[in-house]
Amino acid sequence: MTVLRRWWAPSHPAQLLLGLTLWSLWFVVLYGGLSVACALAPPRPGQGAFTAINGGLALLTLATLALLGWLAWRGLRAGGVSVGGSRFIALTGAGLHLFSAAGVAFVGLPIVTLPPCL
Amino acid sequence: MSETMRPSPEAERLHREMEAVWGNPRGWRGLFSVVNHSTLGLRFMATGLVFFLLGGVLAMLVRTQLALPDQAFMSPEIYAQVTTMHGTVMMFLFAIPMLEGLAIYLIPKMIGARDLVCPRLTAFGYWCYLFGGIILFASLLLEMAPDSGWFMYTPLSSGEFSPGRGSDFWLLGITFVEISALSAGVELTVSILRTRAPGMALHRMPLFAWYILAMALMIVVGFPPLILGSVLLELERAAGMPFFTVAGGGDPILWQHLFWLFGHPEVYIIFLPAAGIVSTLIPVFAGRPIVGYGWVVAAILITGFISFGLWVHHMFTVGIPQLAQAFFSAASMLVAVPTAIQVFVWLATLWLGKPRMSLPMLWVSGFLVIFVCGGLTGVMLALVPFNWQVHDTHFVVAHLHYVLVGGMFFPLLAGVTYWLPLVTGRMPSERLGRLGFWLTFLGFNLTFLIMHWTGLLGMPRRVYTYDSAMGWDLYNLISSIGGFMMAAGVAVVLVDLLLHGRYGRSAPRNPWGADTLEWSLAMPPASYNFASLPRVEGRHPLWETPTLGDEIARGEHARPGAAHGRRELLGSEALTGRVREVIHLPGNSLLPLYAALCLAVVCVSLLARLYPLALLGLAGAGVLLLRWSWENGGHRRAAPLGHDEPEAPPLHSRTADGPGRWTMGVALLADGAFFLSLLFGWFYLWTVSPEWQMPSRSPLSLPLLLASGAALTLGTLWLERRVAALKRGREAGLALALSAIAALGGLHVALLVMALLGAGLAPTATAHDATLLVGLAYLLGHGGLAAVLAALQAWRAGLGLVGARLPFEPGVVALLWRYQLGVYWILAAAMALLPRLTGAGP
Amino acid sequence: MALAVALATGLAGCSGSHSILDPAGQAARDVASLWWGMLAGFGLVFVGVVALWLAAFRPRERPARSPDQERRLARSWILGGGILLPGASILLLLAFGVPTGQRLLPLPLPGGETPRVIEVTGHQWWWEVRYPDEAGEVVTANHLVMPAGEPVDFHVTGADVIHAFWVPRLGGKIDMIPGRINRIRLEADAPGVFGAQCAEYCGVQHAHMQLHLEAVAPAAFEDWLAARREPPPEPDDAHAAARDTFAAHCASCHRVAGLYQGDSGPDLSDIGARATLGAGTLAMEEGAIARWLAEHQRLKPGNRMPAHDHLAPEDLEALGAWLETLVP
Repeated sequence: MTVLRRWWAPSHPAQLLLGLTLWSLWFVVLYGGLSVACALAPPRPGQGAFTAINGGLALLTLATLALLGWLAWRGLRAGGVSVGGSRFIALTGAGLHLFSAAGVAFVGLPIVTLPPCL
Repeated sequence: MSETMRPSPEAERLHREMEAVWGNPRGWRGLFSVVNHSTLGLRFMATGLVFFLLGGVLAMLVRTQLALPDQAFMSPEIYAQVTTMHGTVMMFLFAIPMLEGLAIYLIPKMIGARDLVCPRLTAFGYWCYLFGGIILFASLLLEMAPDSGWFMYTPLSSGEFSPGRGSDFWLLGITFVEISALSAGVELTVSILRTRAPGMALHRMPLFAWYILAMALMIVVGFPPLILGSVLLELERAAGMPFFTVAGGGDPILWQHLFWLFGHPEVYIIFLPAAGIVSTLIPVFAGRPIVGYGWVVAAILITGFISFGLWVHHMFTVGIPQLAQAFFSAASMLVAVPTAIQVFVWLATLWLGKPRMSLPMLWVSGFLVIFVCGGLTGVMLALVPFNWQVHDTHFVVAHLHYVLVGGMFFPLLAGVTYWLPLVTGRMPSERLGRLGFWLTFLGFNLTFLIMHWTGLLGMPRRVYTYDSAMGWDLYNLISSIGGFMMAAGVAVVLVDLLLHGRYGRSAPRNPWGADTLEWSLAMPPASYNFASLPRVEGRHPLWETPTLGDEIARGEHARPGAAHGRRELLGSEALTGRVREVIHLPGNSLLPLYAALCLAVVCVSLLARLYPLALLGLAGAGVLLLRWSWENGGHRRAAPLGHDEPEAPPLHSRTADGPGRWTMGVALLADGAFFLSLLFGWFYLWTVSPEWQMPSRSPLSLPLLLASGAALTLGTLWLERRVAALKRGREAGLALALSAIAALGGLHVALLVMALLGAGLAPTATAHDATLLVGLAYLLGHGGLAAVLAALQAWRAGLGLVGARLPFEPGVVALLWRYQLGVYWILAAAMALLPRLTGAGP
Repeated sequence: MALAVALATGLAGCSGSHSILDPAGQAARDVASLWWGMLAGFGLVFVGVVALWLAAFRPRERPARSPDQERRLARSWILGGGILLPGASILLLLAFGVPTGQRLLPLPLPGGETPRVIEVTGHQWWWEVRYPDEAGEVVTANHLVMPAGEPVDFHVTGADVIHAFWVPRLGGKIDMIPGRINRIRLEADAPGVFGAQCAEYCGVQHAHMQLHLEAVAPAAFEDWLAARREPPPEPDDAHAAARDTFAAHCASCHRVAGLYQGDSGPDLSDIGARATLGAGTLAMEEGAIARWLAEHQRLKPGNRMPAHDHLAPEDLEALGAWLETLVP
């Protein structure tokens, strides 16, 4: 537990990897979830993008976005009040969280326009 | 001027003392037992150069064949072998090993270390590369080279459609070479994280080290999927297990996923170190620090991660739902952002500095022009509808050469010209260098710029001939002329490289005015690099302390000399660079060569289908590797107790957390990537494969699996307790406890074997059974290794090589046990429990 | 320089039977416009970046700046060029790309009709084409006829290895994978002849796996189909010897409607009406079939049909002459 708490601090180098790891996990769940959902219960082709599958993926995306946004904000705040190595880690980490959030938003965009299983 | 500078007597004495401990052995034996990173790094690069030239000859053959329509210069069979081998050789035998060699040579020098952290692994990696490369290339001379294209799509590469030995050469040779890449990946990671100069905190590390760290970790995570794919395909070809055959419940698309899961990161594995060269050179030639250091670090990390989310963009035409394609399309475009960040960091650095167009910068400029163009066509290709049109045409051939030649070859030559004075002490010729550059640059663009157009006119890749009526004649002829021009350019560069050692003017110290530590060394550097280990307080040690080189040579910094007879360097904390321990490295050894030779025997006997011999070779390699691990820690050939030992910081084998633990951790990361690929394969086939057959009842006995898992869990918990006790200095009954733990490991394996035998699997009939078999074999292999290592620890504890004063090793073995515990339960749940819960069926 | 050559020679020669830039259908036209748009936009980016790079090396006076000013300047470079520029570009690209891709989806047609389906199977190294129809299935090889001016759904698969179905002037490609059926919708604006090519490497004769694709007016298409559904005419005596040769040496692999039922090689029922032989290896003309029969392993080395060295040249001539008469 103490290890986890240490890693969770905004100045720990693990924060350099956390944002992109979350991005990757989200991406895997997005692609894997879509594939499994399409294998189990594909909607009718005429339904367009307004399907339960798109809805689920969009919710997942918004939740990930919120988490990454909060992490970025936390890192920026911590970076503002620290110096040297901690400042470097906190600010770079915040930038990476921010990028990951943008990445989630951008890659998630097609969810609102494309039908899921065609 | 180096020859006019007389080293001080103190420096000379120090040099002799250290050379006696660190020097390479002489004579033929020395040729084979060297473990020094400088020697081996150069060997990697020299071997890579040979393969580059061979691959280049293949390219010229291709361009000759395609120069005119309807040519019969090569038969279609030979042409298929030549194109397949050109791609394979350039990717696997040139690009990656070459950059690994550069990193192996430079990284310790840049981070202020005397060698890499696992010198014998460096040697082992080199031998694996050399033997794998020779085996692979031999197939071309035997006219049985692989001919299914460098990405070896099944079923074309499978037994039915490629009955010859070609695919086997590819699968076995490449896997062999990949062992080498993994070795380099693991030790570079640990070296960069744990052996930096005192004070070199993460945020002061040279950018090149960041790039190589990312490359190394990407190798560690990216290569295992292809190794798994190769193992599965070889099992299908040799033993008839239908992983990729639809009729048996397999799926040829699984191969594509596994291949590109590796294949796309591979592009960035090649690009990142090359970009690292660029980011190292630009500040030097701009005469100012790079702007936006943190931005570049972020860009490196982003590239490293995102590049694992792009693989499906090589598969946009296989019929995946468009929404899924759109995810990968967007992710592929996203990677343009970190690349653009780096380009504009470079531009801003140049604009804010006073750049000089020296020879290395000329190559960097060539890189910029070509790579930006390749990057832009890459963004185009990420667009799904456009990709559907140009996929597998010459447009893609042009794009990938722009990215790889522009993104790797040009920076590499920039780096070679830049570091040449360090390696040889002499400067390259400015005139030959410029001639070589312009021939290469113009030849390259002539070949490949026009090729975009040929592709847009519809010329598919990998055709051995084309009809004049297609209207592709002129463009192909131009490409071929350009190709030969580029070859001439490479030849000129080569001449410069060969002649400069004799005719080049001798290099002044730090000839380019660089800021990084490698230029504080003698030119060429001594075997031990640093006579004493300097403290680093900033990002630009040589700009901050220009006299650093002399101070180091005179032994004015940490741990000068080697009177104790050990090869020593400082281990530091990953984040802060604070010194933690003194790491003692093993010396020259023939064991890496012998172990690699055993693997070569495995490889060749699998090719010849002499399976008993292959098993023998495998056993031999295992024994040799264990023997190698035996000469460690307190062993009399390593660092026996009480022999002129430093107190603070202590030797690493006297601590609980030396670099070996990190090496094990990173190696398990690679292992974990392999495991996840296997798990992915299982679920992929289960959900997607068109004719997957799931038996109505799982053939694995649940009670046996539970019992086996219980033994493993018990053993792991016990081992962890003993490791914790050892840390507190308690060693009573250690040997006995370790023996009992090893016995639990044995029980775990025995029960698992019973479960396997009781399952009555028919692995040649269904992909389901075949996958189960591979999964169980994976667990058995790891369980067996865990048990054997625990038994060896028990033995060492009995001999006094492990104990309260030498507490290091059990902690390393415990990591493996912990890993096995995790993968065992995951796999048992995925393969035995989940099918029961979901009520298996078709 | 090379760019200039490319543009000069290229613009003059966008056309060609396989040219992506000479579209003859909406899907291909969309992609061609995407290409020209991207070329213009990215061309600007490319020129801009290279110009900035070269200009940096110009000898010039540098204004004295404090480290803080330098840092701010650098940050605006990075934010502008490293984040804003690529960010805006890819957003724009996605905005164009996703709808373009969407138009190619095999969605139900507005009127609720279903488009005509043509099934194409890739073999090493030829194409099997089937026209499923209640009136009776029609089978041909290496020669595909489709109605122009209406969407057609192609259902494709691979018989042995992975191939890819690609008609460059009509639209994108789709892989033909054993064990799966992939669908792609294409439409030709007007009647015409279009090249098609296997686009996934499928073995030594990948180069000679071309498909002759003809779009004709819908009425002509129905006629074409009807002609092939007609029962074949009674065999005449003139070619009896050739048919004996065929029965002995060819019939186990090749089908000729009404006579022979081999099914591992291309269907030859209408071979006399085809445009090429050997999947685009040889143009059809008088005597071409006999030549193909005699030299096919030289013209298309490695193809799956055994060499005919054991047959007398005059037998091959006769065989060719008979096959040329197979025109529905």
